[in-house]
Amino acid sequence: MSREADIGFLNSNHAAAEGALTAGVNFYAGYPITPASDLFEYLARKMPKQGGVIIQTEDEIAAINAIIGASWAGAKAMTATSGPGFSLMAESIGFAAMVEAPIVIIDDMRTGPSTGVATATGQGDVMQARWLSHGHYGIVALAPFSAQEAYDLTIKAFNIAERLRVPVVLLMDYVLVHTREKVRLKKPPEVEVWSRKKPRVPPEEYLPFKPDEDLVPPMATYGEGYRVFVESLVHDYRGYYVTRDDVYEELVKRLSDKITVNKHIVLDHVEYYTDDAEILFVAFGSTARSVLSIVRHARARGLKYGLFRPISIWPMDTDALLKAAENARKIIVVEMNYGQLFLEVDRVIKDKPVYLAPILTLDLPTPENILEVCRKWL
Amino acid sequence: MAVAKRPIIHPVDKYLRTERLPHVWCPGCGIGITLHAFMRAVKELEDEGRIDSSKILFVSGIGCTGRAAGYVNFDGAHTPHGRAIPYAMGAKLARPDLIPVVFSGDGDLVGIGGNHFIHAARRNMDVLVILVNNMIYALTGGQVAPTTPKGTYTTTTPFGNPDRPINAVKIAAAAGANYIARWAVTHPELLKNSIKKALPMEGFRLIEVVSICPEIFGRHIGFRAPIELYRRLQKVVKIRGKISPFEATYDWEKEIILGEFQVRNEPGYTRVLMEAFKHG
Amino acid sequence: MVRHEILIAGRGGQGILLAGYILGLALVKSTDYYVVHSEAYSAETRGGDSRSEIVITTSEEEADYMKVSKASIAVFMYKEQLLKYKSKVSKDALVLADSTYITEDMLEKTWKKLLVPFSRIAEEQVGSIRVANMVMLGVFSAVTGLVSLDGLKAAVKESVKPGWIDINLKALDVGYNTGLKLKA
Repeated sequence: MSREADIGFLNSNHAAAEGALTAGVNFYAGYPITPASDLFEYLARKMPKQGGVIIQTEDEIAAINAIIGASWAGAKAMTATSGPGFSLMAESIGFAAMVEAPIVIIDDMRTGPSTGVATATGQGDVMQARWLSHGHYGIVALAPFSAQEAYDLTIKAFNIAERLRVPVVLLMDYVLVHTREKVRLKKPPEVEVWSRKKPRVPPEEYLPFKPDEDLVPPMATYGEGYRVFVESLVHDYRGYYVTRDDVYEELVKRLSDKITVNKHIVLDHVEYYTDDAEILFVAFGSTARSVLSIVRHARARGLKYGLFRPISIWPMDTDALLKAAENARKIIVVEMNYGQLFLEVDRVIKDKPVYLAPILTLDLPTPENILEVCRKWL
Repeated sequence: MAVAKRPIIHPVDKYLRTERLPHVWCPGCGIGITLHAFMRAVKELEDEGRIDSSKILFVSGIGCTGRAAGYVNFDGAHTPHGRAIPYAMGAKLARPDLIPVVFSGDGDLVGIGGNHFIHAARRNMDVLVILVNNMIYALTGGQVAPTTPKGTYTTTTPFGNPDRPINAVKIAAAAGANYIARWAVTHPELLKNSIKKALPMEGFRLIEVVSICPEIFGRHIGFRAPIELYRRLQKVVKIRGKISPFEATYDWEKEIILGEFQVRNEPGYTRVLMEAFKHG
Repeated sequence: MVRHEILIAGRGGQGILLAGYILGLALVKSTDYYVVHSEAYSAETRGGDSRSEIVITTSEEEADYMKVSKASIAVFMYKEQLLKYKSKVSKDALVLADSTYITEDMLEKTWKKLLVPFSRIAEEQVGSIRVANMVMLGVFSAVTGLVSLDGLKAAVKESVKPGWIDINLKALDVGYNTGLKLKA
């Protein structure tokens, strides 16, 4: 294989777009926003040539609802946005979860709150990704730290969305999407591409929300005679609105539990020098690259630092985190917000101090910036 | 095996999930008349071999009218408030053989969902929008709607509605819809004929149906029985042939003009988009 | 473990961002290096600050911090950006400077200095000052050996508008030959 054919020099927006194409995206609806627009523009040039449909809607609310409709019409559907647009999608993130529509949402995090700084980076959407919509539901969020991972994890995001019928969020950040890196593009069979389960029974026997053993119901497609009703109200296996405790309880539990029982296809993290780490850092996204630099320089000086980098942020591999923290005296969570991932780490690790190192700079922090904040614990 | 929950006793029963009946709508409500007109139009079209009802995508938003999607036996969805149009658009563009129908209320379509309404009309998106206008937020108990007549008592405007009502026909016309008509539940046969004509067309089609809500609107403003409100509506609606949509007055005190105001055959958005992509 | 940190700075309109992109693309497509490339620029397209940062490592795993902390190779195409960003350059760095605008006394004594009139060469020998960036890349290739002339040319062909390819290739050639002479 020629070296050039499958090697790209892409920023994480373009890499994620390529990942979506590899995964088979064929419907995209979006609204312009910095810094996600160039992902949209990239796909706008490519998708029509591959038979896909891509449109700009009047706002992000239309975009998210259009991709949910498209998903039920059989499409692999996605959108990309940044914090303000993500906020607008709030209600229908819950709708997607409730009607179990496989969709992928890319959130290029920028500085917030509100309009914040449109051209500056941040990691303030961690909790937003988890709890954006009202009510209780399960959702998956993945966080790449390089363009290669943006590519790989977008494919994984589609796979999880299709297999578990959940919305999957890819949490990227302004730095990643404005940094070009070497990316190796893949094709099946090197990379697996999954599709949703289809009904195995004729329309008259089909119950659209009756789960299989894996808690995921097979999904019919509009226009194929199943006459399926997609209900945003609490519904039974038929998709009919009912106000019964047992139906409500089973549904709400299943919307979360289907992720838990299938966590082996979701959980993902990377550990660096954690075996004997006495100081364990926890960081994700582009920030983790700066922290990794700190850890490596410390190791070169004989200091036992390590890094736990969650890739699946929601859910996080908490068992792996506990194990990585076994030998640590202190855990330091470094993130570009005022304490969000920290809350999850602090919840999990009960027997040793967990410190928050909030990095509130507008650009990618240098290792020195981070060390300055952490010095008091080192 | 297809076993109906009860024997088919009505010609349009096959378009209903009859096991879900009775419905939630109050006695005298105009939604049933409208839904019946829709199903009769579908039945005639299907009997004539002009439509395959398994391709109909019946989408509603939130509200009394929004409940319709749950009763009909088509592919469909009951979306969040105001979002039926973009949902239907996404499905249609992803699967162009679908026949999307958005069946929802005035608050849903031209209140909270107003922006989608305008832009779908602007794009000439392929969707038949049946806007059931009962002039009130009924499901939530009688709050003011964008269509409520000025001066009217509602629970959130106890001293009279200070807002001017919206005229959905004019908005759709300004945005460029292919087909625009307004009917009322006082004229179900004309409504059925209009639906039958508009359903097979492409592009954005609006049929506004001026309805009655005797329980939450009528009773609050002094009409004690449904028939009184119905007669009041009968008095104010006037059918006009061949007038511009911009002359289609919507005024509860003077006149509400019914009729077919615009019939065009400009290519629908799906076809325009696919053409554009072909040259990509 | 290899880590080169390259900083290219100049004013808007000098093709700094394109130079960084072409260098990055050439490195990605024609070498085994892992490449991280970021850019920074002020809002105005012409006259403001413009900066490309490229981090080169032997593998993806080694590419931790994504930006330049102390450049091991720096290119300054204009004096104001030299003054502004010289603190980001390591003491023993190789520094290429456009002597059309920069004089030797502006440069740190500890640097390995190479003053070349990129802009003047572009104007006089190639025919347009707009390709000073490619003259610079030609010199860069000859003196650093990090990337081949052919690799740069392939990157230009892949990413420059058709009408501009020839003049950019010529500028690379002229720069490369200039660089070879300087090295000799």
